[in-house]
Amino acid sequence: MSRSDPASTPVQPVEVRLWDPLLRGFHWCLATLVVTNLFLGHFGPAVMTLHFWVGYGIIALLAFRLVWGFVGPAEARFSNFLRGPGAVTRYASHMFRREPSYWPGHNPMGALSVIAMLALLAAQVSTGLISDPEDYINVGPLAGEVASATSRKAVGWHHLGGTLILILVILHIGIVLFYRFWKREDLIMPMITGRKDVIRRG
Amino acid sequence: MKILLAAAAIMSMPVIVHAQSVEDAIEARHGFYKMLSINMGTLAGMAKGEIEYDEAAASRAGANIEALVGYDLPSLFVEGSSMDDNMESAAKPEIWDNPDDFAAKFEDLRSAAAGASDAVMGGQENVGPVVQKLGAACKACHDEYRQPET
Repeated sequence: MSRSDPASTPVQPVEVRLWDPLLRGFHWCLATLVVTNLFLGHFGPAVMTLHFWVGYGIIALLAFRLVWGFVGPAEARFSNFLRGPGAVTRYASHMFRREPSYWPGHNPMGALSVIAMLALLAAQVSTGLISDPEDYINVGPLAGEVASATSRKAVGWHHLGGTLILILVILHIGIVLFYRFWKREDLIMPMITGRKDVIRRG
Repeated sequence: MKILLAAAAIMSMPVIVHAQSVEDAIEARHGFYKMLSINMGTLAGMAKGEIEYDEAAASRAGANIEALVGYDLPSLFVEGSSMDDNMESAAKPEIWDNPDDFAAKFEDLRSAAAGASDAVMGGQENVGPVVQKLGAACKACHDEYRQPET
């Protein structure tokens, strides 16, 4: 059988090491800190010292992810998983098929959600750093570096950002469940063990 | 005819008085918060070490805050002065839905301020706890009843 005739050989998924340990650690740390800070923001103590420190932790994680997106393994690199509108629509057209995607990494649609999440979190930590809620106890450490009108507006942006992040988190969990129960593809274990059944095309 | 004119004049009067009192009330509220913020700024600056601790100045700021919260601030939140009625205001309409809770939040600020002028004396380290108590009362009310700027 020649390799130039792939249609006649059904491609079998193979289990590979997909997600590297640092990326998995990053994912679960970020999930924990983001959910923690959503809770602390809404229900935490009035003196929000812990919310601030968790926010600094999120900044460190975002910085790591940015660097990892350029120097990390292939699956972590932005250049590898960011695709054009053509690839996104192609993926979307068969997304609802009742079969596993066997995608080796972030699929073209998932990549958009990765970028949306990282961008939104970056915006969220930025508005947090410059926020002045005029309560004299929870003033962002960089609030004095911007105009006072900006630091007051940042409070509103930070609240809006929190809502948008919550929506993205719920969407993310919803999609993972959609893959698990509709497409019968488990995405959670690969993010824990790093191993996933994939088909590498091309 | 005279009676009709007099009646019309009397009926229109409360409207004019009301319109003036709404704007006055909003301006008075903002003045109140401005004075509060100047004195809170002094204490918060000292607590953070951005302003050099000065016992007399700290105590004066504390006394000013105690005096300010003695004022019946909730009475300035008159009907028709929410953010929905007047673009100068950041007061959420929820204030008028929950007047008792709003008054209770102001009462909490009063309790937090009680004794502030004495509590901030005796050293820079005494300022922080007072600011935290007062700030927590600021935040509790802002969270519920103050619209962030957009």
